[in-house]
Amino acid sequence: MPQRAESFVVEEQPKPEPTLVDRWVEEQQQWQKTLLTYMDSLGKNEDFLVHLGNAMRGSLLAGKPYPRAEAAAVTAAETPADDRLDRILHALHQIEGQLTDLKLSVDEVKANARKRKDKKKHKDKGEDEADE
Amino acid sequence: MSEEPPEPAPVEDRERELEAMLALSRRSRARLERLYEVLNSPGHYGVGATPTTVVYRENKLRLLRLLDEKGQPRAGPPVLFVPAPVSRYFIIDLLPGRSFAGHVAAAGFDVFIADFGTPTREDRFCDLEYYVEGLVRRCVRTVSALTERPAINIVGYCLGGTLSLLYSALHPETVARLVLLTTTVDGDVEGGIAWVAHKMGLAGESYDEPRLVPAAEVKSWFEMLSPGSNSTAGRVRDLWERLDDSPERLRDIRTMASWVDDVVPAPGRLLAELYQKFGPGKNGLMAGTATVGRQLIDSTKITMPVMSVSAEKDTISPPEGVDAIRRLVPHADVVRLQGGHVGIVAGRAASGLWKRTVEFLAAGSGAGDRR
Repeated sequence: MPQRAESFVVEEQPKPEPTLVDRWVEEQQQWQKTLLTYMDSLGKNEDFLVHLGNAMRGSLLAGKPYPRAEAAAVTAAETPADDRLDRILHALHQIEGQLTDLKLSVDEVKANARKRKDKKKHKDKGEDEADE
Repeated sequence: MSEEPPEPAPVEDRERELEAMLALSRRSRARLERLYEVLNSPGHYGVGATPTTVVYRENKLRLLRLLDEKGQPRAGPPVLFVPAPVSRYFIIDLLPGRSFAGHVAAAGFDVFIADFGTPTREDRFCDLEYYVEGLVRRCVRTVSALTERPAINIVGYCLGGTLSLLYSALHPETVARLVLLTTTVDGDVEGGIAWVAHKMGLAGESYDEPRLVPAAEVKSWFEMLSPGSNSTAGRVRDLWERLDDSPERLRDIRTMASWVDDVVPAPGRLLAELYQKFGPGKNGLMAGTATVGRQLIDSTKITMPVMSVSAEKDTISPPEGVDAIRRLVPHADVVRLQGGHVGIVAGRAASGLWKRTVEFLAAGSGAGDRR
């Protein structure tokens, strides 16, 4: 006769409801965890400091530009006494623009000429076919 | 006569009080955790939401062309967005699902955005002519050449709308349809950024010896429009109270706030010229005396279809000053929407503006059927 294996079912005891003191202790630990996370990010992650500062405007590093914004966003300088270099740079930018205008005009002329040529070719082809 | 010491509260009362304090503590902690999560969410500021390619560069300007899901430019009618040069361009392409430009592109248009970039010292000499006859004109010409269309659609926002309006008066044959968003045309209407700048001393800005007006100063004019919103205490209180909202909503708010904060410096010569020509008491557009370089602006040349949109609660461009376009361009379609200056473009109810814009643009092109 086969031997019958005996099995025991251990009934889980319902966990006792944590007391008010336990819950306060746990809450204190959670606060410690949250504050440590903040302290960690504030110390190690400068982006976080920038975001936090900007969210509060006027505090912390709020004056710093957002990441990807060019640094010049906040480094607006006063007019220098000798601004000849700036005037030359500005004039160069204007010349750059005028050259682009010239290039665009040449491209337009080329494109129009090409269109006229295509149109003429198409027309001649049509006349040849009509003659045949 | 000595007083009896107060009787200690019953144990039940003290426990109830501690329970209430525990609940308050948990709620405050949850708010801090939510703030942490929101501040650590990447990719929701700084650049546009839609993939783009740069098709033209000049000085700080980049002309961006929106790409489709396959990374290709769209083939529909071209639309050029012209944002204000004193703020960052990405307000019109803010977030995935919250992008004005992206919506217009998805409706079947080939969308371009002019990103004026961040001016540096030498750019303080840039004037109205440099922007209108230079940057905007070359953007239009480039879009025209790339898309092989002699006339394109233009959507101008705020000061970008002013540039677009001036450009359209000078080169009407190159503009198919013009949309002006919160663009002030009547400088005598009180309130708004022009008036604040006037009160804060813009009149003293020199055209001949301009300075690069620092971003902080430009920002202070905007902040003057909503007193109290710029104090650290007010800002922190507002932020703390909003932290019960969902993280998605908080991210939206933060994105908008980060854009408002992210003002760029402004060329002093441009501001001086705008003030001298269009500011309070000058009002060159309405008076018919406005010029760009040596060219007089003739508003009767603006013959293309025009839609002008104002915002009911706009403190930057008061709606009365925007709607005055009726007197300048009588055939303009004048629309007033609920919301503020930024809200109508990128807020929760912005879809109303997007829909109206697509309908207006599609009326002249046949595109816009995809939505």
